[in-house]
Amino acid sequence: MMCTAKKCGIRFQPPAIILIYDGEVKGKSRQRIMPVRNFSKFSDCNRAAEQLKNNPRHKSYLEQVSLRQLEKLFCFLRGYLQGQSLTETMEQIQQERTIDPEEDLNKLDDKELAKRKSIMDELFEKNQKKKDDPNFVYDIEVEFPEDEQLQSCGWDTESADEF
Amino acid sequence: MARDRAKACELDQEKYDADENVKIICLGDSAVGKSKLMERFLMDGFQPQQLSTYALTLYKHTATVDGRTVLVDFWDTAGQERFQSMHASYYHKAHACIMVFDVQRKVTYKNLSTWYTELREFRPEIPCIVVANKIDADVKVTQKSFNFAKKFSLPLYFVSAADGTNVVKLFNDAIRLAVSYKHNSRDFMDEVLQELENFELEQKEDDGPGQGQQEGTKSLAAS
Repeated sequence: MMCTAKKCGIRFQPPAIILIYDGEVKGKSRQRIMPVRNFSKFSDCNRAAEQLKNNPRHKSYLEQVSLRQLEKLFCFLRGYLQGQSLTETMEQIQQERTIDPEEDLNKLDDKELAKRKSIMDELFEKNQKKKDDPNFVYDIEVEFPEDEQLQSCGWDTESADEF
Repeated sequence: MARDRAKACELDQEKYDADENVKIICLGDSAVGKSKLMERFLMDGFQPQQLSTYALTLYKHTATVDGRTVLVDFWDTAGQERFQSMHASYYHKAHACIMVFDVQRKVTYKNLSTWYTELREFRPEIPCIVVANKIDADVKVTQKSFNFAKKFSLPLYFVSAADGTNVVKLFNDAIRLAVSYKHNSRDFMDEVLQELENFELEQKEDDGPGQGQQEGTKSLAAS
Protein backbone atom coordinates (compact mmCIF):
# COMPACT_ATOMS: atom_id res chain seq x y z
CA MET A 1 0.00 0.00 0.00
CA MET A 2 1.38 3.39 -0.97
CA CYS A 3 0.81 6.01 1.67
CA THR A 4 2.57 9.31 2.23
CA ALA A 5 2.03 10.67 5.71
CA LYS A 6 1.34 14.40 5.81
CA LYS A 7 0.35 15.19 9.35
CA CYS A 8 -0.30 13.27 12.49
CA GLY A 9 -2.10 14.58 15.54
CA ILE A 10 -4.30 13.64 18.46
CA ARG A 11 -7.95 14.20 19.32
CA PHE A 12 -8.78 14.24 23.00
CA GLN A 13 -12.53 13.58 22.95
CA PRO A 14 -13.11 10.80 22.11
CA PRO A 15 -9.39 9.99 22.09
CA ALA A 16 -7.90 9.10 18.73
CA ILE A 17 -4.71 9.49 16.76
CA ILE A 18 -5.49 11.10 13.43
CA LEU A 19 -3.34 10.78 10.35
CA ILE A 20 -3.63 12.91 7.24
CA TYR A 21 -2.00 11.17 4.29
CA ASP A 22 -1.85 10.96 0.53
CA GLY A 23 -3.20 7.68 -0.71
CA GLU A 24 -2.82 5.91 -4.02
CA VAL A 25 -4.79 8.55 -5.89
CA LYS A 26 -2.38 11.42 -6.38
CA GLY A 27 -3.25 14.81 -4.92
CA LYS A 28 -6.06 13.48 -2.81
CA SER A 29 -5.59 13.71 0.94
CA ARG A 30 -7.23 11.19 3.16
CA GLN A 31 -7.78 11.01 6.86
CA ARG A 32 -7.43 7.98 9.09
CA ILE A 33 -8.85 7.98 12.58
CA MET A 34 -7.27 5.48 14.93
CA PRO A 35 -9.21 5.29 18.19
CA VAL A 36 -7.16 5.14 21.38
CA ARG A 37 -8.47 2.48 23.72
CA ASN A 38 -7.56 1.51 27.25
CA PHE A 39 -5.50 4.59 27.87
CA SER A 40 -5.64 6.36 31.22
CA LYS A 41 -3.74 9.10 32.96
CA PHE A 42 -1.50 6.38 34.42
CA SER A 43 -0.59 4.78 31.09
CA ASP A 44 2.90 4.50 29.68
CA CYS A 45 3.13 6.74 26.60
CA ASN A 46 6.06 4.95 25.06
CA ARG A 47 4.29 1.62 25.31
CA ALA A 48 1.06 2.99 23.93
CA ALA A 49 2.98 4.43 20.99
CA GLU A 50 4.70 1.13 20.33
CA GLN A 51 1.42 -0.76 20.47
CA LEU A 52 -0.22 1.57 18.00
CA LYS A 53 2.74 1.48 15.65
CA ASN A 54 2.67 -2.31 15.64
CA ASN A 55 -1.09 -2.60 15.41
CA PRO A 56 -1.72 -4.81 12.36
CA ARG A 57 -4.54 -2.58 11.13
CA HIS A 58 -2.63 0.68 11.35
CA LYS A 59 0.97 -0.45 10.92
CA SER A 60 1.34 0.27 7.22
CA TYR A 61 -0.15 3.75 7.59
CA LEU A 62 2.17 4.70 10.40
CA GLU A 63 5.40 3.59 8.79
CA GLN A 64 6.53 7.17 8.20
CA VAL A 65 5.43 8.46 11.58
CA SER A 66 8.21 8.18 14.13
CA LEU A 67 7.71 6.39 17.42
CA ARG A 68 8.93 9.53 19.12
CA GLN A 69 6.16 11.62 17.58
CA LEU A 70 3.48 9.14 18.55
CA GLU A 71 4.87 9.00 22.06
CA LYS A 72 4.68 12.77 22.28
CA LEU A 73 1.04 12.74 21.14
CA PHE A 74 0.18 10.23 23.84
CA CYS A 75 1.92 12.48 26.36
CA PHE A 76 -0.41 15.29 25.33
CA LEU A 77 -3.39 13.02 25.86
CA ARG A 78 -2.11 11.90 29.25
CA GLY A 79 -1.53 15.50 30.28
CA TYR A 80 -5.10 16.30 29.25
CA LEU A 81 -6.43 13.36 31.28
CA GLN A 82 -4.45 14.62 34.27
CA GLY A 83 -6.10 17.99 33.91
CA GLN A 84 -2.93 19.84 32.83
CA SER A 85 -2.99 22.72 30.42
CA LEU A 86 -1.38 22.28 27.03
CA THR A 87 1.45 24.61 27.99
CA GLU A 88 2.16 22.67 31.15
CA THR A 89 2.32 19.40 29.24
CA MET A 90 4.58 20.95 26.64
CA GLU A 91 6.96 22.20 29.30
CA GLN A 92 6.96 18.78 30.90
CA ILE A 93 7.80 17.06 27.62
CA GLN A 94 10.52 19.59 27.00
CA GLN A 95 12.05 18.98 30.37
CA GLU A 96 12.05 15.23 30.01
CA ARG A 97 13.88 15.57 26.75
CA THR A 98 16.59 17.89 28.01
CA ILE A 99 20.04 16.89 29.15
CA ASP A 100 21.25 18.14 32.48
CA PRO A 101 24.65 19.55 31.55
CA GLU A 102 26.02 18.88 35.03
CA GLU A 103 25.12 15.22 35.09
CA ASP A 104 28.03 12.78 34.89
CA LEU A 105 26.89 10.23 32.34
CA ASN A 106 29.79 7.93 33.21
CA LYS A 107 27.88 7.04 36.34
CA LEU A 108 24.65 5.91 34.69
CA ASP A 109 23.59 2.35 33.96
CA ASP A 110 23.10 1.15 30.39
CA LYS A 111 19.41 1.94 30.24
CA GLU A 112 19.69 5.47 31.56
CA LEU A 113 22.71 6.18 29.39
CA ALA A 114 20.84 4.94 26.32
CA LYS A 115 17.99 7.30 27.19
CA ARG A 116 20.31 10.29 27.36
CA LYS A 117 21.98 9.24 24.15
CA SER A 118 18.64 9.06 22.37
CA ILE A 119 17.88 12.61 23.49
CA MET A 120 21.21 13.79 22.14
CA ASP A 121 20.68 11.83 18.95
CA GLU A 122 17.64 13.93 18.21
CA LEU A 123 19.76 17.04 17.85
CA PHE A 124 22.46 15.07 16.08
CA GLU A 125 20.01 13.84 13.47
CA LYS A 126 18.53 17.29 13.07
CA ASN A 127 21.93 18.80 12.33
CA GLN A 128 23.35 15.82 10.50
CA LYS A 129 24.56 16.25 6.94
CA LYS A 130 24.19 12.84 5.39
CA LYS A 131 26.21 11.35 2.60
CA ASP A 132 23.22 11.33 0.24
CA ASP A 133 22.32 14.98 0.85
CA PRO A 134 22.78 16.84 -2.43
CA ASN A 135 25.20 19.39 -0.93
CA PHE A 136 27.17 16.93 1.14
CA VAL A 137 30.89 17.67 1.44
CA TYR A 138 33.15 15.05 2.98
CA ASP A 139 35.99 17.26 4.10
CA ILE A 140 34.76 20.52 5.62
CA GLU A 141 37.45 22.67 7.14
CA VAL A 142 36.53 25.76 9.07
CA GLU A 143 39.11 27.96 10.76
CA PHE A 144 38.15 29.49 14.04
CA PRO A 145 40.49 32.40 14.62
CA GLU A 146 42.42 32.20 17.82
CA ASP A 147 43.09 35.72 18.96
CA GLU A 148 43.42 37.42 22.29
CA GLN A 149 39.84 38.65 22.16
CA LEU A 150 38.45 35.23 23.01
CA GLN A 151 36.02 35.09 25.86
CA SER A 152 36.63 32.47 28.50
CA CYS A 153 34.40 29.41 28.29
CA GLY A 154 33.52 29.95 31.92
CA TRP A 155 34.44 26.39 32.79
CA ASP A 156 37.98 27.14 33.82
CA THR A 157 38.71 28.00 37.41
CA GLU A 158 40.84 30.98 38.27
CA SER A 159 43.37 29.15 40.39
CA ALA A 160 46.70 28.41 38.74
CA ASP A 161 46.64 24.75 39.73
CA GLU A 162 43.49 23.90 37.91
CA PHE A 163 42.54 24.69 34.38
CA MET B 1 45.85 -8.29 38.04
CA ALA B 2 49.34 -8.25 36.56
CA ARG B 3 48.48 -11.51 34.90
CA ASP B 4 45.36 -10.03 33.28
CA ARG B 5 47.36 -7.13 32.04
CA ALA B 6 49.94 -9.31 30.38
CA LYS B 7 47.21 -11.36 28.78
CA ALA B 8 45.41 -8.38 27.30
CA CYS B 9 48.65 -7.20 25.76
CA GLU B 10 48.62 -10.33 23.65
CA LEU B 11 45.86 -8.77 21.59
CA ASP B 12 48.43 -8.79 18.82
CA GLN B 13 49.89 -5.46 19.68
CA GLU B 14 53.24 -6.54 18.32
CA LYS B 15 52.18 -5.37 14.89
CA TYR B 16 52.29 -1.77 16.07
CA ASP B 17 56.06 -2.06 16.01
CA ALA B 18 55.97 -2.60 12.26
CA ASP B 19 56.87 0.45 10.25
CA GLU B 20 53.58 0.92 8.44
CA ASN B 21 51.27 0.39 11.43
CA VAL B 22 50.09 3.05 13.81
CA LYS B 23 47.70 2.94 16.72
CA ILE B 24 45.55 5.93 17.63
CA ILE B 25 43.41 5.88 20.75
CA CYS B 26 40.27 7.86 21.59
CA LEU B 27 39.60 9.05 25.10
CA GLY B 28 36.78 10.94 26.75
CA ASP B 29 33.59 10.57 28.74
CA SER B 30 30.48 8.61 27.80
CA ALA B 31 28.36 10.14 25.05
CA VAL B 32 30.80 12.85 23.96
CA GLY B 33 30.57 11.45 20.43
CA LYS B 34 33.75 9.43 20.03
CA SER B 35 32.17 6.73 17.90
CA LYS B 36 30.13 9.22 15.92
CA LEU B 37 33.34 11.06 15.01
CA MET B 38 34.94 7.81 13.90
CA GLU B 39 31.95 6.95 11.78
CA ARG B 40 31.83 10.39 10.20
CA PHE B 41 35.48 10.13 9.22
CA LEU B 42 35.33 6.60 7.87
CA MET B 43 31.82 6.92 6.36
CA ASP B 44 30.85 3.68 4.65
CA GLY B 45 34.38 2.46 4.89
CA PHE B 46 34.07 1.70 8.55
CA GLN B 47 34.11 -1.88 9.67
CA PRO B 48 34.35 -1.76 13.42
CA GLN B 49 35.55 -4.85 15.14
CA GLN B 50 33.99 -5.42 18.53
CA LEU B 51 36.32 -6.99 21.02
CA SER B 52 33.96 -7.40 23.90
CA THR B 53 36.42 -9.29 26.04
CA TYR B 54 38.49 -6.15 26.10
CA ALA B 55 35.54 -3.73 25.94
CA LEU B 56 36.89 -1.94 22.96
CA THR B 57 36.01 -1.24 19.34
CA LEU B 58 38.65 -1.28 16.64
CA TYR B 59 38.32 0.68 13.43
CA LYS B 60 40.77 -0.11 10.68
CA HIS B 61 41.74 2.46 8.12
CA THR B 62 44.31 2.76 5.36
CA ALA B 63 45.82 6.19 4.82
CA THR B 64 48.54 7.65 2.66
CA VAL B 65 51.06 9.94 4.30
CA ASP B 66 53.75 11.49 2.10
CA GLY B 67 53.18 8.86 -0.53
CA ARG B 68 53.47 5.96 1.89
CA THR B 69 50.71 3.63 2.90
CA VAL B 70 49.89 3.64 6.57
CA LEU B 71 47.68 1.09 8.28
CA VAL B 72 45.84 2.83 11.08
CA ASP B 73 44.02 1.16 13.94
CA PHE B 74 41.70 3.48 15.80
CA TRP B 75 40.85 2.29 19.27
CA ASP B 76 37.50 3.32 20.68
CA THR B 77 36.40 2.71 24.24
CA ALA B 78 33.13 0.73 23.89
CA GLY B 79 31.84 1.81 27.27
CA GLN B 80 35.06 1.15 29.18
CA GLU B 81 35.17 4.85 30.03
CA ARG B 82 32.41 4.21 32.51
CA PHE B 83 35.03 2.95 34.91
CA GLN B 84 36.68 6.37 34.66
CA SER B 85 39.85 4.57 33.71
CA MET B 86 41.08 2.43 30.85
CA HIS B 87 42.86 -0.88 30.90
CA ALA B 88 46.61 -0.47 30.60
CA SER B 89 46.63 -2.37 27.31
CA TYR B 90 44.48 0.35 25.82
CA TYR B 91 47.43 2.73 26.00
CA HIS B 92 50.05 0.16 25.11
CA LYS B 93 52.08 1.19 22.03
CA ALA B 94 49.67 3.99 21.10
CA HIS B 95 51.20 6.61 18.78
CA ALA B 96 48.67 9.38 19.18
CA CYS B 97 45.59 10.22 21.20
CA ILE B 98 42.34 11.99 20.34
CA MET B 99 40.74 13.32 23.52
CA VAL B 100 37.12 14.41 23.17
CA PHE B 101 34.72 16.50 25.22
CA ASP B 102 31.16 17.71 24.59
CA VAL B 103 30.86 21.51 24.40
CA GLN B 104 27.39 21.25 25.87
CA ARG B 105 28.46 19.45 29.03
CA LYS B 106 30.91 21.02 31.42
CA VAL B 107 31.55 17.77 33.28
CA THR B 108 33.06 16.20 30.17
CA TYR B 109 35.48 19.11 29.94
CA LYS B 110 36.38 18.88 33.60
CA ASN B 111 37.06 15.16 33.27
CA LEU B 112 39.68 15.82 30.61
CA SER B 113 42.25 16.28 33.33
CA THR B 114 41.60 12.76 34.65
CA TRP B 115 41.93 11.30 31.18
CA TYR B 116 45.03 13.30 30.47
CA THR B 117 46.72 12.28 33.71
CA GLU B 118 46.08 8.62 32.96
CA LEU B 119 47.28 9.00 29.39
CA ARG B 120 50.55 10.57 30.50
CA GLU B 121 51.09 7.87 33.07
CA PHE B 122 51.33 5.33 30.27
CA ARG B 123 52.35 7.43 27.30
CA PRO B 124 54.32 10.45 28.45
CA GLU B 125 55.27 11.72 25.02
CA ILE B 126 52.71 10.83 22.37
CA PRO B 127 50.92 13.62 20.52
CA CYS B 128 47.47 14.39 21.88
CA ILE B 129 44.71 16.45 20.27
CA VAL B 130 41.90 17.96 22.33
CA VAL B 131 38.58 17.89 20.53
CA ALA B 132 35.60 20.12 21.29
CA ASN B 133 32.72 18.21 19.71
CA LYS B 134 29.10 19.12 18.95
CA ILE B 135 29.76 22.72 17.92
CA ASP B 136 26.68 22.43 15.70
CA ALA B 137 24.61 22.67 18.88
CA ASP B 138 26.06 26.08 19.70
CA VAL B 139 28.53 27.58 17.28
CA LYS B 140 29.30 30.45 19.67
CA VAL B 141 31.59 28.19 21.70
CA THR B 142 34.15 28.52 18.93
CA GLN B 143 34.63 32.11 20.07
CA LYS B 144 35.64 30.99 23.50
CA SER B 145 38.91 29.98 25.05
CA PHE B 146 39.40 26.63 26.73
CA ASN B 147 42.41 26.80 28.99
CA PHE B 148 42.90 23.08 29.36
CA ALA B 149 44.42 22.78 25.90
CA LYS B 150 46.52 25.90 26.39
CA LYS B 151 47.81 24.79 29.77
CA PHE B 152 49.29 21.60 28.35
CA SER B 153 50.14 23.16 24.96
CA LEU B 154 47.82 20.80 23.14
CA PRO B 155 46.12 21.59 19.85
CA LEU B 156 42.37 22.20 20.19
CA TYR B 157 39.99 21.36 17.35
CA PHE B 158 36.41 22.56 17.13
CA VAL B 159 34.44 19.86 15.36
CA SER B 160 30.96 18.52 14.71
CA ALA B 161 30.35 14.86 13.99
CA ALA B 162 26.84 15.83 12.86
CA ASP B 163 27.61 18.40 10.15
CA GLY B 164 31.18 17.23 9.59
CA THR B 165 33.05 20.43 10.46
CA ASN B 166 36.79 19.69 10.79
CA VAL B 167 36.29 15.95 11.33
CA VAL B 168 38.37 14.81 8.36
CA LYS B 169 41.07 17.35 9.16
CA LEU B 170 41.18 16.15 12.76
CA PHE B 171 41.75 12.53 11.82
CA ASN B 172 44.19 13.24 9.03
CA ASP B 173 46.23 15.44 11.33
CA ALA B 174 46.12 12.79 14.05
CA ILE B 175 47.41 10.19 11.59
CA ARG B 176 50.22 12.53 10.53
CA LEU B 177 51.17 13.18 14.13
CA ALA B 178 51.13 9.47 14.91
CA VAL B 179 53.37 8.66 11.96
CA SER B 180 55.79 11.42 12.74
CA TYR B 181 55.91 10.45 16.41
CA LYS B 182 56.66 6.91 15.41
CA HIS B 183 59.51 7.86 13.12
CA ASN B 184 61.07 10.63 15.14
CA SER B 185 60.35 9.55 18.65
CA ARG B 186 63.23 10.12 20.96
CA ASP B 187 61.16 8.81 23.76
CA PHE B 188 63.79 7.57 26.17
CA MET B 189 61.61 4.93 27.79
CA ASP B 190 60.51 3.65 24.39
CA GLU B 191 64.09 3.12 23.39
CA VAL B 192 65.12 1.52 26.61
CA LEU B 193 62.22 -0.88 26.45
CA GLN B 194 62.91 -1.66 22.85
CA GLU B 195 66.47 -2.58 23.79
CA LEU B 196 65.26 -4.57 26.73
CA GLU B 197 62.74 -6.45 24.63
CA ASN B 198 65.34 -7.35 22.01
CA PHE B 199 67.69 -8.44 24.71
CA GLU B 200 65.12 -10.64 26.37
CA LEU B 201 64.03 -12.15 23.11
CA GLU B 202 67.59 -13.11 22.38
CA GLN B 203 67.93 -14.81 25.71
CA LYS B 204 64.69 -16.71 25.66
CA GLU B 205 60.98 -16.16 26.01
CA ASP B 206 60.39 -15.45 29.61
CA ASP B 207 57.13 -14.67 31.30
CA GLY B 208 58.68 -12.66 34.07
CA PRO B 209 57.14 -9.38 35.06
CA GLY B 210 58.14 -6.45 32.88
CA GLN B 211 58.51 -8.49 29.75
CA GLY B 212 56.41 -7.09 26.95
CA GLN B 213 55.27 -4.33 29.21
CA GLN B 214 54.97 -0.79 28.09
CA GLU B 215 57.03 2.20 29.02
CA GLY B 216 54.62 2.81 31.87
CA THR B 217 56.35 0.09 33.85
CA LYS B 218 57.69 2.54 36.33
CA SER B 219 54.34 4.02 37.17
CA LEU B 220 52.72 0.63 37.07
CA ALA B 221 55.09 -0.65 39.66
CA ALA B 222 54.30 2.36 41.75
CA SER B 223 50.56 1.98 41.49
